[in-house]
Amino acid sequence: MAKASSKKKAEEKKPEYIHVTFNRPRQYSWSTGRYLGHFYAEAKENKRIVGNRCPKCKDIWLPPTPVCPKCKVDMGWDWAELPQTGEVYQYTYLVMPLWDPHYGEKWANPYPSAIILLDNGVFYRHRLEETDKDKLRAGIRVQAVWKEDYEERGHGMADILYFKTIDEQEAKRCLQ
Amino acid sequence: MSTVTEKLEGMDVWLYHGQIYIPNTYSAGAVGSKFLIELRDRKRIVGTRCPTCNRVYVPARSICKDCYSQLDEWVEVSNKGTLLTYTVCNQQNAIQPVEAPIVYGIIQLDGADTGFVHLLGEVDPEQLKVGMRVQAVFKKEREASILDIKYFKPLV
Repeated sequence: MAKASSKKKAEEKKPEYIHVTFNRPRQYSWSTGRYLGHFYAEAKENKRIVGNRCPKCKDIWLPPTPVCPKCKVDMGWDWAELPQTGEVYQYTYLVMPLWDPHYGEKWANPYPSAIILLDNGVFYRHRLEETDKDKLRAGIRVQAVWKEDYEERGHGMADILYFKTIDEQEAKRCLQ
Repeated sequence: MSTVTEKLEGMDVWLYHGQIYIPNTYSAGAVGSKFLIELRDRKRIVGTRCPTCNRVYVPARSICKDCYSQLDEWVEVSNKGTLLTYTVCNQQNAIQPVEAPIVYGIIQLDGADTGFVHLLGEVDPEQLKVGMRVQAVFKKEREASILDIKYFKPLV
């Protein structure tokens, strides 16, 4: 009995230490500039993927850039609409849980991320709808799926939800 | 996704508003913890006295800043004090604990020899005066934080 009370006393005497936690968000904003802004506007208004064309080497750059990374010349204002279908060039399967660093929300996980070779030969990195690892392979035909709600669009690349698998042969057979 | 974008009127330029969390935690230490626990449990503001300089520090600190003596003597100070100086911040910022306009004051509590930085409330910024008497207002639910004192209000 005496032992128990002395133990309790010792616990009471143990000093309490306070930890001060600070977790308020720091806010910032950045401007997209004219070129990326046009890319954002086309995605929101017309559900189009656009790149800009170099006047010298005629290459199309995505995301758009004010200066051609190859020729180092002013890109001017020559826009090209890109096809929304392509094939998976390379892919990876992300298993590591990731959080949005800006808002602390957990991103859906796991998901496949792929480099997509659009039909005119421009590369685009995006996520795929297909989450079954066994059905993934390089070369599958994919198509962009856009956010349907106009108000929700306005985040550039994120206006495309993912690229879904399309089986063109299967589609043709259905039509015949 | 809850990021916020905004198209500038008449231009192909978008503003992207973001925010980033940089959480950090630190230990208040032996002296700081005791100061915060006194606020939480007994609604008392305490400081430490330097035996050599005979100066009372509020908030409490463990070492005298001038003579480096160990400060062991705890003293309770009043929750009323005199406003030494103040500033008014009109810009809202998410890292601030309250909404703008935010009035910060340095208050010398009765019995203390140093200034104590805190918020001022229930006051019109126009009517602030250096030398006015203020009193601490405590929160009902306290959690051992410096914001257990809600703000200092003017004594009528």
